[in-house]
Amino acid sequence: MANPAIIAENLTYRYGKLTAVDHINFQVGEGEILGFLGPNGAGKTTTVKMLTGQLLPAEGRAELLGMDITKHTKKIQSQIGVCFEQTNLYEAMTAADNLKLFARLFGVQGFDADALLERVGLPGKGKSRVETFSKGMRQRLMVARALVNQPRILFLDEPTEGLDPVSAETIRNIILEEKSQGITVFLTTHDMVEADKISNRVAFINQGKIVALDTPHALKQQYGKRALIAEVVSSDGNFTTREIVMDEQDTPNAVEKLFANEKVVTIHSEEATLEDIFIQITGRGLV
Amino acid sequence: MNLSIITALLRKDLVLFFSNRFFALITFLALFAYAILYYLMPAEIDESLEMAIYAPELPTSLLNELTEQGMVLIPMESEQALKDAVLEGSYPVGVILPTNFIPNLVAGQTGQVYLYFSTDFEDEFKDLYAILFTEIAYMIGGKPLNIEVTEEILGEDRSGDQIAYRDRLLPLMVVMILMFETLGLASLIASEVSTGTLTALLVTPVRVEGLFIAKGILGVGLAFIQAFLLMAIIGGLSQQPLMMLVLLLLGSVLVTGLAFLIASISKDMMSAMGWGMLAIVVLSLPSFSVLIPGSVTNWVKIIPSYHVVDPVYRIINYAPTWAEVGDNMLILAASALLILGLGVAVLRRKFQ
Repeated sequence: MANPAIIAENLTYRYGKLTAVDHINFQVGEGEILGFLGPNGAGKTTTVKMLTGQLLPAEGRAELLGMDITKHTKKIQSQIGVCFEQTNLYEAMTAADNLKLFARLFGVQGFDADALLERVGLPGKGKSRVETFSKGMRQRLMVARALVNQPRILFLDEPTEGLDPVSAETIRNIILEEKSQGITVFLTTHDMVEADKISNRVAFINQGKIVALDTPHALKQQYGKRALIAEVVSSDGNFTTREIVMDEQDTPNAVEKLFANEKVVTIHSEEATLEDIFIQITGRGLV
Repeated sequence: MNLSIITALLRKDLVLFFSNRFFALITFLALFAYAILYYLMPAEIDESLEMAIYAPELPTSLLNELTEQGMVLIPMESEQALKDAVLEGSYPVGVILPTNFIPNLVAGQTGQVYLYFSTDFEDEFKDLYAILFTEIAYMIGGKPLNIEVTEEILGEDRSGDQIAYRDRLLPLMVVMILMFETLGLASLIASEVSTGTLTALLVTPVRVEGLFIAKGILGVGLAFIQAFLLMAIIGGLSQQPLMMLVLLLLGSVLVTGLAFLIASISKDMMSAMGWGMLAIVVLSLPSFSVLIPGSVTNWVKIIPSYHVVDPVYRIINYAPTWAEVGDNMLILAASALLILGLGVAVLRRKFQ
């Protein structure tokens, strides 16, 4: 891993007697996208709140850009961008004024709101009030706001949840652009497909604990199974499915037998998804 | 705290405040409505007592005696005309002196007087009219009461120069105009908390102290400017202007602290409006001690706005010295700082 931009050590948070985040440990390298995956209530947002200085950890520590978040909160916050799960824009203000306000707060000189709006797919919308925007437009503006200060670490909390495919794709492209510029991205989501597409590594969090952390490929190798799925026609004319597990000693014989004994209509390979692996590890789904 | 951050927050708050049509409208409407209302109300009190009278034979001596008592007698054509006039509220009191009234008194017999009052006439004053005619009867009968009354007014003699109702209403107007801005500020803060925009601000270089400074400047500034403009328009700064400005400034700090408190217990904008209206009602109570003397008891002095109401009233009408309003000013300053401190402490917990 490159120099770690985020280090979490035994990070813990409790809401009364409920331990929402339970001694989690991980590191995120500079320029890396970490997908932080888990069902609702798993502790994703609480983790983001601790990492961004909104909540003080009950135990453990977090270091961002080499500084302790509890000791250098404002210094760190000036170098990070946060896109919240809840849309929290100034609805009565225009899109450009929303961005300019944050640019002033970050002390950004020569800020060009129109250029940033164009980048997130909102060209010519600078003078429109946010209250007239659709959900997708608001979310793109939220991402734009998180980029106002050209952050070194970008926190995105469910950035594509409930969005139309075009808006979601726009946001995914922005995330990848930021990564290509060396920005570290901490992406919380429960969209496993999205995480699989864009994350360098993914962490599964369940009931406040990290239960797995690796690249999507490694997780699939470790926990998933590869298989061939064939659709065959039986003697009575009905379609049925046959599954042959790959990467086993008997796999070639099984394939040969299939084609010799059955009338194969279609055949394709199938990999385990991250969701399958999450269910396998935690025994529960992502909802 | 970075000045450019405070300026940016303040600009944002002003935009949000005036983009809310209700608060923008009420800010300007209240100011002009109060100023217009003030000038529409009479500038002087009519101290004459009008009384309708029907007396077929009214001797000059009686007429003179009644006029000396400060009464303006309005002759009526008939008994029925008099009763109708009092019933309609044209005159609060009517008196009928029958034809045999004077001859009976002179002959040492009972003279009959009929007094008629409008429905809302106060009991205490009814008795006074009865006493007045009894005294007159004794005098006409040649048996004047053997009493010498010495009159002395303690304090300034404002006979013929009574405080006009509009000047009695002014303290209420000041409290109301200050509190309207409180409503706006409390709603603005509650709305920022409920929509999460404050959270967004707090993950930037903005510190909680900066938020309070910006909101405090907005609250005090809006309330003070509104009250200052009202006073300037109605001539309230003609006497003791510095004293009045200090008073309005302290009042503005007080209502800003209240706005912080209201925002801390409100879930959203509507909730802030509800609590704010309740606060307006409570803070307006001391104004009635000036508007309708005797209508409220001394306990209103525990309401901090009393210490705005009382000095405003005195500055407008009596041009007091600093020493004379010193107690009010000190209590107001102390309660304003206490409420502001409490508001900041409670709201700070909500921010974090």
